[in-house]
Amino acid sequence: MKTLGVDVGSRYVKLAAFDGEELLFSAKLDTIKFYTLCRHAGKVDISRLPVLMEKDFAYKRVVSTGYGRYNVRIEGSAVISEIKAHTLGAACQSGLSDFTLLDLGGQDTKVIRVRGGEVDDFVMNDKCAAGSGRYLENIATILGITPEELAWHTDKPLSLSATCAIFGESEVVGAIAEGAEIAHICAGANLSVAQRLAPLARRYGSDKYVVTGGVALNGGVLKFLGEKLGAELIVPRHPLFNGAIGCAIEAAAVTA
Amino acid sequence: MKRVGITTTIPAEFIFAAGGVPVDLNNIFIADAAPMGMLERAERDGLPRSVCGWIKGMYGAALAANVEHIIAVSDGDCSHTRSLIEILEMEGVKSLPFAYPYDRDYALLKRQMEKLAAFFGIAFADAEAMMRRMDRIRKKLHRIDGMTWRENTVSGFENHLYLVSASDMDGDMNRFEQKVDAFLAEAAAREPFPHEIRLAYIGVPPIFTDIYPFLETRGARVVFNEVQRQFTFPFDTDDLVERYRRYTYPYDVFSRVRDIEAELSRRGVNGIIHYVQSFCHHQMEDVVFRKHLAGIPLLTVEGDAPGPLDARTRLRIEGFCEMLGSKRRKAAS
Repeated sequence: MKTLGVDVGSRYVKLAAFDGEELLFSAKLDTIKFYTLCRHAGKVDISRLPVLMEKDFAYKRVVSTGYGRYNVRIEGSAVISEIKAHTLGAACQSGLSDFTLLDLGGQDTKVIRVRGGEVDDFVMNDKCAAGSGRYLENIATILGITPEELAWHTDKPLSLSATCAIFGESEVVGAIAEGAEIAHICAGANLSVAQRLAPLARRYGSDKYVVTGGVALNGGVLKFLGEKLGAELIVPRHPLFNGAIGCAIEAAAVTA
Repeated sequence: MKRVGITTTIPAEFIFAAGGVPVDLNNIFIADAAPMGMLERAERDGLPRSVCGWIKGMYGAALAANVEHIIAVSDGDCSHTRSLIEILEMEGVKSLPFAYPYDRDYALLKRQMEKLAAFFGIAFADAEAMMRRMDRIRKKLHRIDGMTWRENTVSGFENHLYLVSASDMDGDMNRFEQKVDAFLAEAAAREPFPHEIRLAYIGVPPIFTDIYPFLETRGARVVFNEVQRQFTFPFDTDDLVERYRRYTYPYDVFSRVRDIEAELSRRGVNGIIHYVQSFCHHQMEDVVFRKHLAGIPLLTVEGDAPGPLDARTRLRIEGFCEMLGSKRRKAAS
């Protein structure tokens, strides 16, 4: 049976298309673009998405999660919470049933304690998105590099105190003015995010952390975070699509 | 009749006994048709963005509520209150500080009450007599609370609304009592609510306008409102001073923990919502609650300005209720 999982994030909408247990393809598009393409007569119709038309993917069931669904619900879609979606996705991708999941997104950080493959408890960041993926994006933009380039620097990290996505910008501009090297600023940004994440991750201390979300693609943050937590960090094959994968698994499970 | 503003629960017996009308400024603010306007007025007049929304709301409410005096809790609530009354002083609003002694010293608390008696020109015994009159209404509020968790015929919001109103009894205790009587009669005729998940709400009352009904859409109902219940003085003592000594909110967090623990087990609570106000010192107490109430899942929810729940908070609450529901089903099977 063909199922589709849709994770509407703050920055990107992620899709995961399954046939049975096989992931056929995944896709991501800008959240604003997603709504521009799909919103029609007060409804969100995902059949209008070019990627689904190109692949000629006709799903039997769709499950979605994420932002915006209270305002505009995706037509024909069942809805699950992000916490559940990410837990299902991480348990499936990692093959583990007892672990701590760190989902590091554009604005949100979720730390979920998973026991027996189910949510046991979770915490999220407070109302501030400091130290999130958006902070790293902003810093990369100021430095005129891509987030991927920023991600690999860990050498001689510059001390950056403001993890605020906005104030962090002026701090970086100041560092450049003082002649700091771009590589060290990048390392500093990665370190400051890890510093911000570690106390939250330690709430559910574990010897195994599964890390998902866009920030899981940042090797620098992972290196610093692994050092601070003193634990193994496992990044599944599709960290960015973890929530969407969880949704698709739920779609298959409910119908089964 | 003299209208007297209050910044949180104080011995309102003294105001009523003097023939005055207590006006809880928090209630004036949050029950206003446009509470955001009061908060914006405070910011327009220069109060910083990084000050608690309740303080800014009370500033707007004090100026709008036409009160002669304010009894301001200078110890036992937050230190922003002190600065608030000083700023209001410049606007011509007179105030009298009331201090809950942190160590619960009986003589010191009594002295504070005697100051109130002198200020209002009444005898201490007048306030004691008023306490007995108010207790008749408080007993009915305790009944509402009992119906919330025993009979399950009162919603979390109704519980909140009636109990939180105990601070000033809407300024008119006779009319308030009639309202309570009518509600009790209505609720007594109801069928129990079907909600599967039983929640405790701890912390200061919410600035969100829709948290209780939203929880109910997720299959969860609040069966314990911690601070609101404290406003009704559910203690077995006829000593007016002792009453305000046992009241937990103005004192240390550990007596709050003991009160919460007892109610959690009595009321069969599955999960706890700890509400914290942005920029409030009570946020720090989350550490204590997480440690001492570790057996029951706890979700910390932060609010800033009045209005409906934001999308992020709704997602968290939804995830929390989903988790509690699945834990319950697992335990049952």
